[in-house]
Amino acid sequence: MMLLKIAWRNIWRSKTRSAVVIFAIASGLVGGLFASAWMNGMAQQRVVNTFSIETAHIQLHNPKFAENFDVKKTILSTEEKLKEISKIEGVKAVTSRLIISAMAATANKNMGVTVVGIHPKTEKEVFGLYKKIDTANGNFFISKKKNAIVISKALAKELKVRLKSKIILTFQDYNGEITGAAFKVIGIFKTDNSPWDKSHVFVKDIDLRKVLEITKGQSHEIDILLNDYTQASLISSDIKNIYPELLSEDWSEIQPYLSFITEYMDIMMGVFMLIILGALGFGIVNTMLMVILERTKELGMLMAIGMNKKRIFLMIMLETILLALVGAFVGEIISMFLIKYFGRVGINISSLAEGMESVGYSAISYPVLEPYRYIQITILVILTGIIASIYPAIKALKLNPSESIRTL
Amino acid sequence: MSVIQVKNLTKIYSETEVPVHAVNGIDISFDKGEFAAIVGPSGSGKTTLLNMIGGLEHPTSGSVLVNGKDISELSSSKLIDFRLYNIGFVFQAYNLIPVLTAKENVEFIMQLQNWDKTKMDKRTIGILESVGLGDRINSKPNQLSGGQQQRVAVARALASKPQFILADEPTANLDSKSTNQLLEIMEKLNKEENITFIFSTHDQRVVDKARRVITIDDGKVVSDIVKKV
Repeated sequence: MMLLKIAWRNIWRSKTRSAVVIFAIASGLVGGLFASAWMNGMAQQRVVNTFSIETAHIQLHNPKFAENFDVKKTILSTEEKLKEISKIEGVKAVTSRLIISAMAATANKNMGVTVVGIHPKTEKEVFGLYKKIDTANGNFFISKKKNAIVISKALAKELKVRLKSKIILTFQDYNGEITGAAFKVIGIFKTDNSPWDKSHVFVKDIDLRKVLEITKGQSHEIDILLNDYTQASLISSDIKNIYPELLSEDWSEIQPYLSFITEYMDIMMGVFMLIILGALGFGIVNTMLMVILERTKELGMLMAIGMNKKRIFLMIMLETILLALVGAFVGEIISMFLIKYFGRVGINISSLAEGMESVGYSAISYPVLEPYRYIQITILVILTGIIASIYPAIKALKLNPSESIRTL
Repeated sequence: MSVIQVKNLTKIYSETEVPVHAVNGIDISFDKGEFAAIVGPSGSGKTTLLNMIGGLEHPTSGSVLVNGKDISELSSSKLIDFRLYNIGFVFQAYNLIPVLTAKENVEFIMQLQNWDKTKMDKRTIGILESVGLGDRINSKPNQLSGGQQQRVAVARALASKPQFILADEPTANLDSKSTNQLLEIMEKLNKEENITFIFSTHDQRVVDKARRVITIDDGKVVSDIVKKV
C-alpha cells in the first residue's frame, strides 16, 4: 500500500515530464483505437450489408443446383419446409426464391444477369434490399402489377433504362426451351456493392414461375434470417439433420471471406496496437531511465535504510504501470467520445466512393468498437508498463547505496 | 556488553591508480546506549568506517560484529534485511522521501517491518512529538526547514527501535540554532530509548555533546576518549 502511494505520488513529481508521457500514450491510443474502430466499423457494415442484401444467415439449396445453377434442381415442398423452418428456435424469418441466369436486353445493350424471383412480403422480412430504393426511384413491388422488375442504378445506367422502361429477359425454362418476357422497371436500388448491383435483378416469384414453367412448391433457394447471426453454424447443422437431402450453408460457408474480414480485422487491430504500444514502451523506458538517474540518491537511501530489491523493483514497476495507465485512461476516454461521435454522424469519404463501392464497402462508415476492446487495451497497456519497467528497475537494483547517497 | 565490535577492519579502494587505504586496521567497540562521535579531517576514513559498521560497504579484511554476529560475511540482500531491523541511518542531506509527509516518512521503516497499524501510529506520533514536530506531521519535506527535516530523519531512524543509529555528518547542513536543537533531541532520545548513537562529524558542537570522542586519521584510530560525566 505504501509502495503504491509512493509510486502514485512519484508520477506527479515532475508534472511536465509525466504530462508529456501521458500525452504521448494518450495520443498513441487515440490514433490506434480510432483507426481500429474505423476499420472495424467498415468491416461490420460490410458484413451486415451482405447479410441484409445478399446472403441472409443461412441458405438451403438442392445440392445439385449449387453445382451449376440447373433450373431443374429445385427444393420440393417449399411451403411445408418454410413453415417447419420458421418454427425452429432462433429463426426470425424465412423466404424462398427462384433463381435463374438470364440475358437482360434493352434497345441499347444486352447484359448477363441473375434473375431472382421473390415473394415480396417474406422477402422484406428476410432481406433489406427494399430499403435501398429511395422514394424518387420507385418501390419494391408495392403494386400488384404483373411482370414488374427491380434493378440497380448501376445496371439501369448500363442498359440506359429508367423507371417504367421495359427490359426483355431471356432464359432457358424448366423444359430446356429458350423463353423470355418483358418486364417493366418499377424500382431502382443502389447498394454499396456495385459489382453485385450490376448482376442482380428482382422480379416476383409468381411472374418468373409462370415463364419458367416451374410448378408450385418448387424453389431454388430458401433464405433464413436468425435472431443472432453467431448461431448460424449451429442452426444450419440442425437443419442439415432435418433435411439431409438439402445443402444447408451458413453465411461463413456461403461467403467465406466475411469471416475472413472479421478475423483479419482482429489480427490487423492486434498488430496495429502492438506497434503503437511497442513504440510507447520505448518512450516509457526512456522516461523511467531518466527517473532512475534523477533519483539515484533517493534510491540509494531507500536501499540503505532497508528497502529490499524486491520492493525497489516493485516500486519502479508500479510507477511505470500507473504512468502508462493514466495515459491509457486519458486516451481511452478521448477515443470513446470520438468513436461515439463519429459512430453517430459517420465518416464520409465520398471522394473515394466509387473505389470503395467497387469492393463492396460503403463510402460513409461508422466507427464502432466493442467495449471489451477497451479492456483488452488496458491489459496490453499494463503489460507494456511491466515490460518497460524491467530495464530501468534492473538499473536501479545495480546501484550501490553508499555511492548513491553521496551523489548530488 | 558491546553492541558493535570492529576487529582489525581494513578497506582498500583499489579501483584508483594508487590503491587508497581508507581504513587501516581499526579495532574498536561500542556499548549499548553510547553517544559517540568519530572525528577526523576530510579523507581520514570516518565515513568509510561508518559505512562498514552500517553494512553499506564490505571491508577488504577484518570483521564487524553486531551483537556477536559477523555482518561482513552477509550477502548484500541479507545485509539489506539486517540494516532494516538493526540500524537507523541519519544522513547529512536528510534524505527524506520527498513525496511522503513527515508522518509517512517516519512510518516508512515500520511499514517495511510490517508493524501493526495502531502500534505504528502511536509510536510515530510519540516520536514526532519528541522531536518537536507534533504539529507538522502532515507536512511534506519541502514544507519543512532543514533543521525540521533532519529531526524527521532522526525520528525515522529511531522509530523502529534499532540496535544503534549511525549519523553521517548530521549537522553539516544546519545552522547553529537547528544544530543545538537537534543535538539536544538526540541526546534526550539516546537517554530515553537507550539506543547507541554513533556520529561521524567535523562539527565541534557535536564533539562537545558526545560522551565519547574517537579521532581517526589516515584510516587509523589516533585517540579514543571517553568523557567523564
